[in-house]
Amino acid sequence: MSAHPTDAAAPEGGLRALWASPTARVGLGLLGAVALLALLGPLLLAHGPRELVAAPLAPPSAGLPLGANAVGQDLAAQLAAGARTSLAVALLAGAGTVALGGTIGLAAGWFGGTVEAATMRVVDLALVVPRLPLLVLVGAYLGPSTPLIAATISLVFWPGTARIVRAQTRSLRTRAHVRASRGFGAGARHVMRRHLLPELALVLAAALVAAASRAVLLEAGLAFLGLGDPTGASWGRTLRDAIEFSGLFYTPAWQWWLLPPTLAISALLIGLTLTGVGLEGGSNPRTSRHRPGATP
Amino acid sequence: MAERRRPAVSAALSGLTLAALVVLVFALPRALPGDPLAALDDPTSGVAITDPELRERVLAHYGLDQPLPEQFAGYVGGLATGDLGWSIARNAPVSGLVAAHLPWTLLLMGPALLLSTAASYVLGILAAWHRGRTGDRVALVGLTALRAIPEYVLATLLLIAFAVLLPVLPVGGARTPFAEHGSGLAALADVGAHLVLPLATLTLSLTATLFLLQRHTVVAVLGADHMLLAEAKGLPLRRRQFVHAGRSALLPLLTAVGLQVAFAAQGAVFVEAVFAYPGMGSLLLEAVAARDYPVLEGAFLVLALVVLAVNLLVDLAARWVDPRSAAS
Repeated sequence: MSAHPTDAAAPEGGLRALWASPTARVGLGLLGAVALLALLGPLLLAHGPRELVAAPLAPPSAGLPLGANAVGQDLAAQLAAGARTSLAVALLAGAGTVALGGTIGLAAGWFGGTVEAATMRVVDLALVVPRLPLLVLVGAYLGPSTPLIAATISLVFWPGTARIVRAQTRSLRTRAHVRASRGFGAGARHVMRRHLLPELALVLAAALVAAASRAVLLEAGLAFLGLGDPTGASWGRTLRDAIEFSGLFYTPAWQWWLLPPTLAISALLIGLTLTGVGLEGGSNPRTSRHRPGATP
Repeated sequence: MAERRRPAVSAALSGLTLAALVVLVFALPRALPGDPLAALDDPTSGVAITDPELRERVLAHYGLDQPLPEQFAGYVGGLATGDLGWSIARNAPVSGLVAAHLPWTLLLMGPALLLSTAASYVLGILAAWHRGRTGDRVALVGLTALRAIPEYVLATLLLIAFAVLLPVLPVGGARTPFAEHGSGLAALADVGAHLVLPLATLTLSLTATLFLLQRHTVVAVLGADHMLLAEAKGLPLRRRQFVHAGRSALLPLLTAVGLQVAFAAQGAVFVEAVFAYPGMGSLLLEAVAARDYPVLEGAFLVLALVVLAVNLLVDLAARWVDPRSAAS
């Protein structure tokens, strides 16, 4: 990249710009906190998420930082294990969506013509389909497992990414340096790797973050609806167990049973949203210069 | 979406989407290993069939022993006449179950879409007009945070706040069970009270996205020539805000509302689950729990049809408010 000092949107510059934005720093901080919970939680806690270790609805204590649920499972262990599931789905589904949507969008934008028209019609069709009911239907037939949920989410969400990447590719294709490179006889693969992908990096990163946050929301949502992986832990599942416990609100237990997963989901999603806002600001000079109160 | 499609093209695209979903629903159980009954082979389920002879008879009864094209023709023919299949778990026609659940979902989705569109229209204009001031900052931060809170979490929080800590509204359901209402008005008030929390949840989560877009569009419109002219003519503030600035931002807002319809359906499923609201989402979830695949497929198709129909309506409305497309 050093040979191209004019590459304003190069990844390194983008990451530095990301860190410079206070919004993104708060977002990355929240993501880091959830990652720490996922990595260190299982090491520090004495119990597994499914072990019956305490009296039902035991309040928080030294050994049980978040108390126990109605069957005496360690809720802190469930929170930490749920963080692992959420982050795994976020990474898998995010990567899947970006790989699928990025490739299809890049191909549509690069080749244009019939390929582009056909792809964009499929995108238009896919964008109006209600996704959650579709996931419920597919999940009911294929059986619930975390990697499968991540794969299905990628299959449902690629059109949005494809649309953005295609628009960017179309505009990049006509830029002077890309046309010059083509003029010197560079092949499509060289131009994509050397010129398009570096400039698309921030857009793809923003798409990854957006897909990851929808994946977290849907994974926990499916688990909340009772359609998640029955062998795994999930924040959505802890929420579901809490809501389904009919005496929940007659005891103070909802404070350590219902609230922590609620706050954890919100923290992870807000973290992803703020990181995404920071990335979008960095990738679009028009929005990054925009300040509230400035003359429009 | 710069160019607007002609209504016939929009309708054709919706029809194509629906056709693709019908093929998907038909193909999914048949593409899996084994036959469609294999899904029922879980011995823990109440509808598992273990006797081979009975299995043959069930396959023949449902026409599953016929060639695929004939099965597909029969399936589509049934759909065309409103026959969505027969519920295995409840031994009742799926169309009857859908007819009992669909009104509640429409009662939830319709007002939620209208209210969130209206609220975003007004709030977006006011926030853009007073951009950078305290009110705008609060709305911006608050609604950005709200966008990151899933519907089921928001629903749970509202439930705790207004039905548990401050018990002013019912915890769930659509009506008070076994209640005798003296008058039709009292019954209506009962339905209304049960609707408040589910509707508030769905409206709030839809408003979050639409508000951000409306504010963004109106900020871009504020410096336009026609806004300056309106001010120079001495038009009153409210008229400049809601007629001149708002009108210019209406088209992008309606386009966004179209894309939100699918999210409204998704939100309705979650909200119905939390509040035990007897709509299509609840029907879908009960069908999954009971492994009642005909109901699952029927509910999915009808929900998709509703989303596509509302989407088409929004598309037509957007075309209607766009003078450029009316002229062409």
